[in-house]
Amino acid sequence: MVVALAPAHGVGSRGDLPLPFAALVIGAVAALLISFVAIGTLWREPRLRDTDGLLLPPPVAAVLDSGWPRVGARVLAAVLTVWTVAALVLGPDSARNPVPHVVYVWLWVGLAFASMLLGPVWRVINPLRALHSGLLRLARVSPDLAALPYRWGLWPAAVGLGTFTWVELVAEENTSLSFLQLLVAGFVAVSLLGAAVFGRVWFDRADPFEAWSRLLGLLSPLGRRADGRWVLRTPLHGVNSLRGQRGLVPTVAVMLGGTAYDGFSANLSWATFVQTSPVPSSLLKTATMLGFFGLVALTLWVASLVSVRLAGEAVRESFTFVSDIAPSLLPIAGGYVVAHYWSLWVYQGQYAWRLLTDPLGTGADLLGTAELTPNDALIQPTLVATIQAVSIVVGHLLGVLAAHERAVTVLDRRAAVIGQVPLMVVMVIYTLGGLTILFAP
Amino acid sequence: MRAFRALPYAVCVLALSGVAACSSGTPADGSGTPTPAVSAGTVKRLEVTVTGTTVTPAPAQVDLPVGSTLELVVTADHDDELHAHGFDVEAPLKAGVPATLRLTAEEPGVYEVETHEPALTLLSVAVR
Repeated sequence: MVVALAPAHGVGSRGDLPLPFAALVIGAVAALLISFVAIGTLWREPRLRDTDGLLLPPPVAAVLDSGWPRVGARVLAAVLTVWTVAALVLGPDSARNPVPHVVYVWLWVGLAFASMLLGPVWRVINPLRALHSGLLRLARVSPDLAALPYRWGLWPAAVGLGTFTWVELVAEENTSLSFLQLLVAGFVAVSLLGAAVFGRVWFDRADPFEAWSRLLGLLSPLGRRADGRWVLRTPLHGVNSLRGQRGLVPTVAVMLGGTAYDGFSANLSWATFVQTSPVPSSLLKTATMLGFFGLVALTLWVASLVSVRLAGEAVRESFTFVSDIAPSLLPIAGGYVVAHYWSLWVYQGQYAWRLLTDPLGTGADLLGTAELTPNDALIQPTLVATIQAVSIVVGHLLGVLAAHERAVTVLDRRAAVIGQVPLMVVMVIYTLGGLTILFAP
Repeated sequence: MRAFRALPYAVCVLALSGVAACSSGTPADGSGTPTPAVSAGTVKRLEVTVTGTTVTPAPAQVDLPVGSTLELVVTADHDDELHAHGFDVEAPLKAGVPATLRLTAEEPGVYEVETHEPALTLLSVAVR
């Protein structure tokens, strides 16, 4: 009876084993200890300066500034884009098509890891940015052409990230070729339209992948200090450089809530509930995903509200303060991303090469990677569990430190110590929640 | 107070060395874990019935040591398609006729077994 076929879906067919109970307990205790110790003992004056950092050796800085690494990255990105579009338009509608892996593994997860390592790389290699400036150059108009001023902050990026999360986690048939053609065409159309109306700032502010890369890229150890020189610095310096802005809270809520929902939705009791419920499953999933987004935003705002009330300020101050403290959730979001997507990235990311070598499904082996067997050294269960627990706890630690720095900067000295407690409580909840989701999938 | 300026760096170094220490310790206990002799090569049998959208027994995680095999017998009350993620095997389901999937555990991880019409999760296989 058994017919061996190519898998119907190539992406995400392997999940991680549940986090061992010991790792859950160690992680939870570490997170609680970090939080209590932080309140009592950390610095009382702002410590992080934009002039901090270890200067890179001059030759390395010179190479980075020379523009060659950027040109090289742009060329590679352009080649990959053309390659992928060819597979999207002319490739087979089967698991042999590389497009799902490029979109869901390389673009989404790979971009997150690359940004956390190197900084906001999508800004440099975004093929739509290149297409937009190329079109303007062909038309001989200024690259700054814009019809209307842009004033929505990160809101369009939050909506875009939320939509992509829905596409990835809820939409049915999301690896079918026609679905992906529609998705990519729609995204290109919206981006070019946005850039035509609002100019290049559309990519800076409204593009979901630029926001994803820029916000996670703040965690990168590589950065420029105030005088523009390349330095190695802590993830806290990047996070601390982000100021509250319109749409930041929903963007962070989508980043954190989306990853958490991804982990949660793998739970078998949840799957059983969804498939036996009389409510259509896509409706139930969509509502729950939106609930995760809302829960993050709501808890963050409640923390902000309690903080400003403790500091004796008016309730309306909570709406500015919530935006001030939102950046300190980025390390936690980064920790979630590493914990949930590490194995997908290091394993399925390699598998993508097997498919890319034959973009049109003709049996070609253009890259010589048709027989590549993904190396599984990086997904050994003990290593994965360690990386998951450590990344969640380190994310929590950095989040607490970033929140503390922000509290002593924004609040007056008397209120700073007590004022950061509500946010810390929320962070403990997120961290324990994140560990629990990994423990009970 | 000046010493505190180095604190963020110290914390990061600590965190990174923690990662390094943990990961360097892993190959020893990860790859070195011998598969228990009793379970290697053994065959586990499990019967699952699908009635409408109800799966009996209720979806659960089934442990499967590397090297052993799960013999999964699925009977549905409608025509459907059976698919085991990760094992890359599919089988057609005829209403009322039991179909058997043999899943041999190779790569550690969690893999879902599902049907397509309607999309139901039948169980997940935890390969360790």
